[in-house]
Amino acid sequence: MDEAITTLRDEALVALDACGDIDGLEAFRIKYLGRNGAVSGLMRSLPGLAPEARPAFGRDANKLKQEIEAAFTARRENLAVNAAADRGGVDITIPGRCLPGGHSHPVSQVSLEICDTFAAMGFDIAEGPDVETDFYNFEALNIPSHHPARDMHDTFYVSDSTLLRTHTSPMQIRAMEARRPPLRMIAPGKVYRCDSDVTHTPMFHQVEGFLVDEDVSFADLKGVLSLFIARVFSVDTAIRFRPSYFPFTEPSAEVDIACVICGGKGCRVCKHTGWIEILGAGMIDPEVFRSVGYDPEEVSGFAFGIGAERIAMLKYGIDDIRLFYENDHRFLSQF
Amino acid sequence: MKFTLSWLQDYVDISLSATELAAGLTMAGLEVDSVDETGADLDQLVIARVAAVEGHPDADRLHVCEVDDGEDRRQIVCGAANVHAGMITVLARPGAVLPGGLKIKSSKLRGVKSDGMLCSAAELGLEDGSDGILDLDRDLSVGTPAASALGLVDTLIEVDLTPNRADCASVIGIAREAAALTNTSLRSPAVSDLSFSGQAPFTVKIADYDLCRRYCACIIRGVKVGPSPWWLKKRLLSVGLRPINNVVDITNFVMLECGQPMHAFDFNRLSGTEIEVRSAREGEKIKTLDGREHDLTPETLVVADAGGAVAVAGVMGGEATQVDAATGDILLESACFSAVSVRRTARRLNLGTDSSYRFERGVDPGATAHALARAAELVVKMGAGEIEGAVDVQGKAAKPLKLLFRPHRCNKLLGTSLSGEEIMAMLSAIELGCRLIDTETLEVTVPTFRVDIEREIDLVEEVARLVGYDHLPESLPRVTLAPAIESPDRVFRLKAAAAMVEIGLSEVINYSFVSSSHRRLLGYGESPDEFVRLKNPLAEEQSVMRTTILPGLIENLNHNLNRQAPGLMIFEVGKVFHPRGGRDRQPRENTRISAIIAGRRNSGAPVIHFGREKVDLYDVTGVVSAFISRMGYRIDAFTVAEDLPFASGTVAVSVNGVRIGACGELSPGVTREFGVKQAAWFIDLDLDMLMGIKREDKIFFPLPKFPAVYRDIAIVLSEAVPVAELMASLEKGGGNLLESAELFDVYKGDKVEAGTKSVAVRLVFRSAGSTLKDKQINKAMNKILAEIARDLGGKLRES
Ligand SMILES: [Zn+2]
Repeated sequence: MDEAITTLRDEALVALDACGDIDGLEAFRIKYLGRNGAVSGLMRSLPGLAPEARPAFGRDANKLKQEIEAAFTARRENLAVNAAADRGGVDITIPGRCLPGGHSHPVSQVSLEICDTFAAMGFDIAEGPDVETDFYNFEALNIPSHHPARDMHDTFYVSDSTLLRTHTSPMQIRAMEARRPPLRMIAPGKVYRCDSDVTHTPMFHQVEGFLVDEDVSFADLKGVLSLFIARVFSVDTAIRFRPSYFPFTEPSAEVDIACVICGGKGCRVCKHTGWIEILGAGMIDPEVFRSVGYDPEEVSGFAFGIGAERIAMLKYGIDDIRLFYENDHRFLSQF
Repeated sequence: MKFTLSWLQDYVDISLSATELAAGLTMAGLEVDSVDETGADLDQLVIARVAAVEGHPDADRLHVCEVDDGEDRRQIVCGAANVHAGMITVLARPGAVLPGGLKIKSSKLRGVKSDGMLCSAAELGLEDGSDGILDLDRDLSVGTPAASALGLVDTLIEVDLTPNRADCASVIGIAREAAALTNTSLRSPAVSDLSFSGQAPFTVKIADYDLCRRYCACIIRGVKVGPSPWWLKKRLLSVGLRPINNVVDITNFVMLECGQPMHAFDFNRLSGTEIEVRSAREGEKIKTLDGREHDLTPETLVVADAGGAVAVAGVMGGEATQVDAATGDILLESACFSAVSVRRTARRLNLGTDSSYRFERGVDPGATAHALARAAELVVKMGAGEIEGAVDVQGKAAKPLKLLFRPHRCNKLLGTSLSGEEIMAMLSAIELGCRLIDTETLEVTVPTFRVDIEREIDLVEEVARLVGYDHLPESLPRVTLAPAIESPDRVFRLKAAAAMVEIGLSEVINYSFVSSSHRRLLGYGESPDEFVRLKNPLAEEQSVMRTTILPGLIENLNHNLNRQAPGLMIFEVGKVFHPRGGRDRQPRENTRISAIIAGRRNSGAPVIHFGREKVDLYDVTGVVSAFISRMGYRIDAFTVAEDLPFASGTVAVSVNGVRIGACGELSPGVTREFGVKQAAWFIDLDLDMLMGIKREDKIFFPLPKFPAVYRDIAIVLSEAVPVAELMASLEKGGGNLLESAELFDVYKGDKVEAGTKSVAVRLVFRSAGSTLKDKQINKAMNKILAEIARDLGGKLRES
């Protein structure tokens, strides 16, 4: 760069900094940026240069002009604000006038996100009663009384035959009784188990989902749940399916994702396995189909159950499930 | 189910690390809950021999012992009653730290120097309480580190068993899975068959083969009951079971090894020579081994002798016939009781045991005799007695189930393309016998220990498990395109919640069950039929289904005020529950939306602009109006309602003439009951009812083409006339030309006559067809004033 240009640049920027008010700024403008100012002077010196030096000099002079103009504008705005503040006018650092909105409960937000994910895949959304019959909650789902699997559901009873639903799976039966395949549906709702500690509250939220049609396979279950996890967590979340047991599905699976706390290296939260269980699933058991009058040779399907609190805890790093039901505004307003 | 790696290795060679094994089992459906290295904290302890024991000169209970630790002879003071010369035990030398954190130092006990400590099993962290110091096998070599000499350096693995895998409630069951996992074979302990033909000095009778499928028993005479050898104690201790005596320990060991619960009776304490498995008689009682007395009913299956019940079948033995130091002959039982019966009994007696745990899930009916033989052989091997006659009584002998299996069906369900041969190879690895019937079908023979495999679909799961779920393919279902149907209730509820959030309230969620005192605290009378009551609540505070959402919200308010919240605006959308009468009828579930507003107005907003004023009634009615409007309805004018018992001012909320709820101020008496010491306002609306009201369709009105004319007026009228009536009168008088009327001030005070108020309103006139002229407006104004004078006795305020 030509020395005349660099010298002018340094001089102009120092002068600009020294401008303390609008008047000083105007003097600066005339001296450097005016029609007869120093920058225009550079341009006028162009014809005196050797022809081969002219293009580079012209370009640099132009650049300098832009730079000084930008600095000048910034300085002017800065001075304007300060001047206003000095006069007791507008202090833009005082908070603006705006009413805070309310906050949706994090469990509602996560439930909605889960439901939206499946709704976008064409699943119907249905709801059922919180106080269920033993038939819909257990019998029709292949869990007769005195089945050891009832130990997996610590049930609140209202009477001998009515209870607080322990899962939203009864909607599977209610829907299949009412309609014929193909069916794809999710059933969100509150569920209840008599259990209370850091990881269990006696009420929590579940989203049950199922799909019944001809030729539905376990591979389809894997595909749909992988899509779900990619959407609710992220596409690069590692997933694993492992065998488990539920009386109303066969084969049954539990789905783990790579621990969100340690990224799979192993920590206290994932009990040093690197994996965290997030949902249970499986192929609908033929007995369940028989209980609603479907022929298991004709149709097949899968079902899954997702705990909304669990997903919320993993997504937001919440370590105590009871926080969801304390309803402390300092907690709620974080979501 | 707990087991240690070294125990597992008795039956299978494991080439994997503990972590690899745990991961493999988990992926095979046996979810490993924990993997713990044991014994590492015992490495400073050594095996030692008590050379001599003398009494302490100043303390009766203390002994002064000379102990050989392989390097030195030390003097050690010991308080255990069982210490004796020649005993092999564990010594903690000064400097050693016990698992509980106790650091051993040289010290003086009652004036006698003690150079270390002799340890009990409890002090080594092996059991909760111990009767004395460890009495170990004589062949342990003195001076060796105790942890390795005792085989305590091990890996404890706990599997969280799903209820279907009864076969894995045993170390051999786990070993079978581990063998399949690592492509090796299982080594079951060789047991010679018991001879059931010999003359037994007793008979067995089973009343109902549905309740007891099989009962095997044998007599062992001349039993020497005493402590078990270390290897046996160690096995039990390693999985957290307390050794009792050699006979009981063997029954427990065989149960853990094979999954077959066993029981030993003191034969000489049984009366008569017949063992009967039958339902308990009405009024029959038994005192079980844990010292508890139980009243039995005919639903309980018992093992009985001539004198009555001697054991609750499959759950726990009776105290009267238990094996103890005085026992000479034992009757060893290995039976297959009905899962349902044992489960029902264990529930009813509130008595869950390792035995009932296994019976409830299903015990292999084919291995009853085998387990008995194994246990009897161990007793004999220990030199503790001689077998004298055995009995095996059963209904239909358990035969392996034969199932037809269609590989193409399996492939269809799993999305795989496995060949019949591949499937056969996999199933064989877990001892499921396979035979090709034709190109389409296999016949699979299911061994009796797999009580969970009864159907083709169960075999499909085995195939999936053996392939590995992670290796199964992944695809997306092909479905018929159809519109998704969403529950309209849900759509409405979500819309309601979203409206409240937009208005500025935050959503809370409370438990559906509440304290039965809530209704009383709200000022309602006590009436037990009002609730849907839980039979087994966790606490009184969660014992009835709520009939109103408000108390939960008031509790939330209290929680937040106690944490210095300056103000709160919260709402909840949820169900309340009303019994319909009839014990087994499902209640009526009603969805409501309720809110509580209290403290500083706009408490989250900058104080500099919004101040610190507190909310009042108009904040609440404002929220209600905005809410109803956002839901797409037009709200009726608020009216004063009869007070609800919990309110000190109640405003009725109606839409299209239907009362859908109320809002107002909570009475101070009620808020105080919940610990709240400041004013609070509530909203409580029936969402189901609102949803039932038809919404007006939205119709577009063309935008006005001509300008509006504004007139501000102030009307003086009686204080008693509500503003809504004035507005109605304005509307009536203004006719088509009056577009709207905006209330901007209400004044009461000494500038107007007592008993009156001045209401200031901006009137907006507009015509759809032309620009209004003064003449037209004046005419309308006169009509309005005449209307107000006639209807309300109001007149224009003279300024
Ligand atoms: Zn982790």
